Amino acid sequence: MREPTYFVLASLLDGPLHGYAIIQRTEQLSGGRIKLATGTLYTALDRLAAEGYVELVREEIVNGRARRSYGLTPPGAGALRAEAERMAAAARLVTGRGRGLLPGGSARKASPA
Amino acid sequence: MTGLERRCRWLLLAYPGWYRRERSGEMLGTLLEASPPGRRWPSFRDARALVIGGLRVRGWTWSLSMVWVAAGAVITGYIFYATTPNYISADIIGTGFIGFSAGPAAVQIVAVLAFVAWVALPLPVLIAGFIRLRGWRPTSWLRAAAWAGAWIAGDALLSLARAWGDSPGVSWGELPVCAAWLVLGAVMTWILAASARRSDMPGAGSQASGKASQRPTGTRDSRA
Repeated sequence: MREPTYFVLASLLDGPLHGYAIIQRTEQLSGGRIKLATGTLYTALDRLAAEGYVELVREEIVNGRARRSYGLTPPGAGALRAEAERMAAAARLVTGRGRGLLPGGSARKASPA
Repeated sequence: MTGLERRCRWLLLAYPGWYRRERSGEMLGTLLEASPPGRRWPSFRDARALVIGGLRVRGWTWSLSMVWVAAGAVITGYIFYATTPNYISADIIGTGFIGFSAGPAAVQIVAVLAFVAWVALPLPVLIAGFIRLRGWRPTSWLRAAAWAGAWIAGDALLSLARAWGDSPGVSWGELPVCAAWLVLGAVMTWILAASARRSDMPGAGSQASGKASQRPTGTRDSRA
């Protein structure tokens, strides 16, 4: 799962959001790193919907235009969780032996970070 | 309708009609909400994402590459057959190796710069494409082939312009062709540099994407 996809799914954890809200929430969750362009967002939503990870939950009319909200499906939540666990396991490989990886090489006596 | 809205609507034409009927209102709303107030033109990023998104939905990114390769091959074949004797004799008997030594200095400088860019441009892009795609999968090869085709087509266009112009040396008619070729090359780079997905292929369904094939096939995940 690429990072933008991960954050798009994560942005829906607290409930369904519409397009612009997903863009905002994704940027916020990623600490400003991921700024989705509108076209990119809808390409991602199309794909995630085709995979059954997100679904259309609400449609309203705002300023004469359709505004649709998308929500996480149970398979989507499962895939997100699996990815989070995979990354956490990968992270533990490194963080679990933090002191051995201090700059300067050998395991120095340092206060645990 | 504001200028921004009108321009966004224009960009949405990259998407096919059936998709626009379903989505354009929604996407337009998001585009306008995401644009800072007072903005009159969509951002470059938005424009790029919409054009690429539209081409993807149409399934054109793959066929564009193939058309490009085919055009390059056919035109080159024809040019090679039709103009090579003229081309060689004009250059060798004429004013120099590349033939850019005729005409006003400004023309020569522009022509040489265009020529250098034309020769130099595809190579880093090709290498970057391979590094980006990290492998020798079919998508990588299609991209490389598309670039080879683009390069050859540019070569052929220049030869064609040379054949039409007053040889020897660069002609005024050759410069627009040079410029058009560089623009075309830049556009192709822009389109093809977007990350490859297997879903670009016609009839691909929702399999794991091209980039995901690092993993064993069968682990169907949601890589994007």
